[in-house]
Amino acid sequence: VATVVAGALAVPAVAVPVALATPAGAKTTTVNVTVTPQGCAPKPAKVATGQVQFNVKNKNAGSVTEAELRSGDMAHILGEQENLTPGLSGGFGLVLQPGKYVVYCPGASKQQTAFTVTGTSKAKNWKTNAVLSGAVAQYADYIDQNTATLVTSTQAMCAAIDAGDQAQAEKLYAQARMFYERIEPVAEVWGTLDANIDARANDVAKPSDLKGFHKLEQLMWSTNTLDGASAYCTELVQNEQKLATLVSNASYDPITMATGATDLINEAATSKITGEEERYSNTDLPVFQANVEGAMEVFNLLKPALQKTNPALVAQIQQRYQKVENAIEKYKATPGYDTTGYVEYSTVLTPQRRQLSTIVQAFAESLSKMSGQVS
Amino acid sequence: VIPVSRRQLLGGLGLAGAGVALGPMAAALGSVAAPVVAGGATSDGATSGGPGGGASGGSSGSGANRTYPFYGDHQAGIVTPAQDRLAFASLSVLDGITRNEVRTLLRDWTVAAERMTRGQMVGETTDLDTPPLDTGEAMGSAVGGLTVTIGYGPSLFDDRFGLAAKKPAPLVDLPPLPNENLDPAFVGGDLCIQACSDDPLVAFHAVRNLARLGLGVVDYNWMELGFGKTSSTTDSQATPRNLLGFKDGTRNIKAEQTDLLDRYVWVGNETDQDWMKGGSYLVARRIQMFLENWDRDYLEDQQNVIGRTKTAGAPLSGGREFTTPNFHKKNDQGQPVIPANAHIRLASHEENDGLRILRRGYSFTDGIDPVRGTLMGGLFFIAFMKRPDQFVTLQRKLGTDDALNEYIQHIGSGLFAVQGGLRRGQHWGDGLFV
Repeated sequence: VATVVAGALAVPAVAVPVALATPAGAKTTTVNVTVTPQGCAPKPAKVATGQVQFNVKNKNAGSVTEAELRSGDMAHILGEQENLTPGLSGGFGLVLQPGKYVVYCPGASKQQTAFTVTGTSKAKNWKTNAVLSGAVAQYADYIDQNTATLVTSTQAMCAAIDAGDQAQAEKLYAQARMFYERIEPVAEVWGTLDANIDARANDVAKPSDLKGFHKLEQLMWSTNTLDGASAYCTELVQNEQKLATLVSNASYDPITMATGATDLINEAATSKITGEEERYSNTDLPVFQANVEGAMEVFNLLKPALQKTNPALVAQIQQRYQKVENAIEKYKATPGYDTTGYVEYSTVLTPQRRQLSTIVQAFAESLSKMSGQVS
Repeated sequence: VIPVSRRQLLGGLGLAGAGVALGPMAAALGSVAAPVVAGGATSDGATSGGPGGGASGGSSGSGANRTYPFYGDHQAGIVTPAQDRLAFASLSVLDGITRNEVRTLLRDWTVAAERMTRGQMVGETTDLDTPPLDTGEAMGSAVGGLTVTIGYGPSLFDDRFGLAAKKPAPLVDLPPLPNENLDPAFVGGDLCIQACSDDPLVAFHAVRNLARLGLGVVDYNWMELGFGKTSSTTDSQATPRNLLGFKDGTRNIKAEQTDLLDRYVWVGNETDQDWMKGGSYLVARRIQMFLENWDRDYLEDQQNVIGRTKTAGAPLSGGREFTTPNFHKKNDQGQPVIPANAHIRLASHEENDGLRILRRGYSFTDGIDPVRGTLMGGLFFIAFMKRPDQFVTLQRKLGTDDALNEYIQHIGSGLFAVQGGLRRGQHWGDGLFV
C-alpha cells in the first residue's frame, strides 16, 4: 500500500461485493431482475442505500444471457450475472451508495433500465470530524519530527565514518534506522527515494545499484571496511533531506495512517522476522521495535475515534500489542548487541522467530481493520 | 489390454548407451495398446498430429478424456489450452554421464511421454517377478489433456556433452533481477519437464515416470506442483483467478493470435540454431506471495495495485474485463485512473514498446513458510517467448516499480530452451545430438 498519501486516487468504489464486505447485521434489500427478450427491468427500481441482493432469472430470452449493474454513466460494471440460458437463474450482491445506476442486458430490445439508490451518502467526511482531523495533524508532526531526527542521526553516523571509527558507526547505524522504520510507509510513496534510502541487496537490479543504509551495512558488517562508505553516507543524507522536504509538504488522511500502520507490521512480519532486512548487521530487533512504535503511534492517534466506532477493535489491538511487547521483551539486553538494547538477531532461532511471527501476524490482522472504521 | 513383456518395451534399457539409432523405448513404439483411460473411451494414437500437424491443433476426445497431439510444428503445452494442473521438474545430469546416455534418455522420454499423452501406460508389466514398468497411479484416470514439454537449460551446453556449438546465443542464465531473493535450491537445471493435465495425478505421474526412467542419469533439482491455472491461453477459456483473488491473464497472448505468436513466442528463422526453429524459451519463476499481508490491504488499494476491479476484472479506466485499458484516462484530480505503478500498466505492451510474452503459470503452495509460519505459496510463473530478454526487460521494470512488489518476491528461477515440435519418428534431442 504505497500509493495513497499524495493525492489519494478517486477510483469509483461505490460497490463492494457482499462476500468481501458485509457489515454485520446489515439489512439486505432484494431486487428481482427477470431477463426477457424485451429487457431486464429491476423490481423494485428504487432501493435504499446499503446491501442489495440482485436475483437474476432468464425467463425466456435466447438472445440475452446476462444482466449487469453499471454505474450511471455506464462506464463501470459493478456486478454481473453471466451465462444465463433460458430457465436459469443466478445473482450477485453489492453494497450500494446513493446514486443513479443502470441495469444492463445486452441483446434485449430495451437494453438499459435506470436503477436508483436513495439515502445519505457515507462519503468520507473525516475533515469535518475534529477527532480525526486532529489525529491527521498530529501524525504529520510525528512524520516531520522523525524525518528531521533521521537526518541528524545519519549525519552523526557519517561523522563516525569520516573519522574512520567503524565501531562507532555501526552503533549509530541501528539508531538512525529506527527513525526511518517508524515512518517507512510514508517514505515509500516516493518510490525511488525509498529505494535509494532503504533498498536491500535483493531489491536492486544490479549489485552495483545498491546504495543507502543497506550498502553501508554491507560494507561495515560483510566487507568489514569503511572504504567508499563516506560517499554513500553523504548521498544517503542528501536523499533523507529530500524526503524531509517532501514530507513537510505532504498531506495525510486517516485511511493512509491506518493502512500505513498495517504496512509497518506487515513489513516486520515479512522481512524482519526472517532476518532479511538486516542480513549483514543482525540488528533486526531494534528496527522491528521501530515498526511497532510507528504503528502504535497511529493507533494511539486514531484511538479516540475508534473508541466510538468500534471499542471491541480497540480492545483487541491493545491486547495483541501487549502480546507483541511481551514477546520481544525476552530479547532485550543491556547494553545489548552494538548497544541496541537487544540481543543479536542471529541468536534468535527459527522456532523462536516462528513464535514471534504468529504473534505479529495477529497484531497486523487487527490493525488492518482500522481503515474501514476511520473513513 | 494386451499383456506384453517388459522386454518388448524397455528391453535392454541400460544396455543401450552406445549410439543406437533409436532409443530402446523408441524401438518398441506402437507395439502395445494399453489404455489408461477408464471405460474404454480412449483417444488412441491414430489421432491428429502427424507430420506437419501443429501441436496447437485440434484435440481428440472430449471432456476429461481429451488428448492433444504429441507431434506437430511446436511442442504441445505452450499454446495448448491451459490445463488445470501442473507438475514441473528441473533436473540435472549426474557427474560422469556421457553424451550418449543423455541422448538415449531423451529418446526414452519421447517414447514414454508420447504414450502417456495418449493415455497409455509407460509400459505394461504382468511379470510377477519384476517391478512394474509404469508406476501405476494414473491407471483408470482420464488423460485430462496431458501434455509433456521438455526444455534444456544453459548448463546443458557446457563442456560435458559436446553441445557448446549447439547452444543458442540467447540461452544464457538470467541476470540478477530486482525484487528477487532466489533460494539456490530452486534455481536452474540442465533439463526441465513441464507436465500439464486437468488431473493432478496424471500430471504428477508423467513427471515421476520420466524421472524414474532417468534414474542414474539425472537427478531432481527441484519440483513444483501447480494446483490452479492462472492464465488462459485461448479465447474460449474463461479467465482464471490467481491467489490474490484477481483475474489473471486477461490480456495474455491467445492461441488464436498467430501473428503475435510468430512475433513474440515462436523462434523463427532468426535463430542461430536450426533445432530451435518452431521452439520457444521457457522462463519459470517461483513467486512467493505474502498472502496474509495482501489480505490485509483494503479493497480500493488492492484494485489500485493491480489496476483492475477485483470482482469483474474490468480495468479501472472502465468497461468490462476485456475492454482495452485506457492508461491515459485521468480522474478529476488529474491523477491517472490506472495508477502509474499499477501492475497491468507496467506489464502492458502499450508501455513496453509492444513487447509481450505468453504466460502459462499456476498457483502453487508448499505448505507453510518455516520461519514466518505463513502460507508458503503464490504463483509458479511460466512464460514462453521468442527470446529470454523479453522477460528480462519486463521484469527489470516490474521488479523496480510494480506496486505489487510489496506483496511478492521471486524466490526461484529457471530458463530453458524448448526445441521445436517433433514429427513421428523424431525424438527430443534430435538436432542437438547430431
